[in-house]
Amino acid sequence: MSEQRLNLSKTNVLILQNNATELDILGQMFIGFAVKTIRKCLNVEEADTAVRTGTYDLIVVDADLPDNAGLDFIAAVRRQADSPNKLVPILLTCGHTARAAIRRAINSGANFVVAKPITPKTMFDRVVWLARDEREFVESQSYVGPDRRRKAFGPPSGQKGRREGDLSVEVGAASGPDMSQSMIDAMLNPKKAVA
Amino acid sequence: MKSPNTFKIENRLKNTSVGKGGLTRGEAIEAAVLQIEMVRAPTLAHIDAALATIALMREGMQAGPNPGALSRMYDAANQIVATAALFDLRELGEAAYCLCELVSRFQAGGKFNLKLIEVHTDGLRLLREPDSHSAAHRQAVLVGLNQVAASVA
Repeated sequence: MSEQRLNLSKTNVLILQNNATELDILGQMFIGFAVKTIRKCLNVEEADTAVRTGTYDLIVVDADLPDNAGLDFIAAVRRQADSPNKLVPILLTCGHTARAAIRRAINSGANFVVAKPITPKTMFDRVVWLARDEREFVESQSYVGPDRRRKAFGPPSGQKGRREGDLSVEVGAASGPDMSQSMIDAMLNPKKAVA
Repeated sequence: MKSPNTFKIENRLKNTSVGKGGLTRGEAIEAAVLQIEMVRAPTLAHIDAALATIALMREGMQAGPNPGALSRMYDAANQIVATAALFDLRELGEAAYCLCELVSRFQAGGKFNLKLIEVHTDGLRLLREPDSHSAAHRQAVLVGLNQVAASVA
């Protein structure tokens, strides 16, 4: 099977990070992924202006901004009425984080939380996962964002599932003979056997 | 209270990225590694500045705990967590994570022990020069730091 390709050349990415060093590293990473349009922001004010004036296909936000500003930014983006960025995939990056903060991060409305250090391998797999994310969107008084239940979607590409019974994302070659039409009919519309 | 509204959405990232052309996983990762290499020098300088901040905060707490200094120490260590492993300093990053955990436990429990911080800062200094120490020695340092951080309830 040929290796999966991802064409990010027309993708607009917004990156909000806590410091210039991490911002530059992620910027370089996305340049390597062939992204042409990258907006880099060092504080929420810049990022807020960016989402009000531009349209993005992916937003990467740092959870380590002071006073949970990154999480508040995500919640604000999700609640912007009539904004083209309201539904955009958002990746939240976390350094050392207390357990309670992780829960808050998940509830912020981000599509995925990824732990630092973020290697190119990790980032690429997460972007692929986000591109395949087909979860529904939820709007409620307490939460706006992707459906937090993701069990039907499978693990990220390239990773084994955590549950023993998880099936592989890849469908292999057939291992037995094809089912006959009568077998398929019986499976779709089972009937009680009559003695 | 209004019931939650659930609806399907169009994934704009999928629309822009999944199609003809583009890079394979291997090509994209290789290109990204090369790009990141271009910021090696400033990132190592940033790591050294963070280590200097940690050392300065430790000196500032010789007389006793200081919440502001602990907070700055945590932030500096967290920046090392984010960056060190990308430039062949994986163990330094793990030691910085241990320091974050230790400081976090001090902050949560209202505790403080300068000796435990000093063990970490010594470990960080050692792991900044990984080639000067054997892998077994580095691993032993990390195991010790993990045990020290975990000992603070």
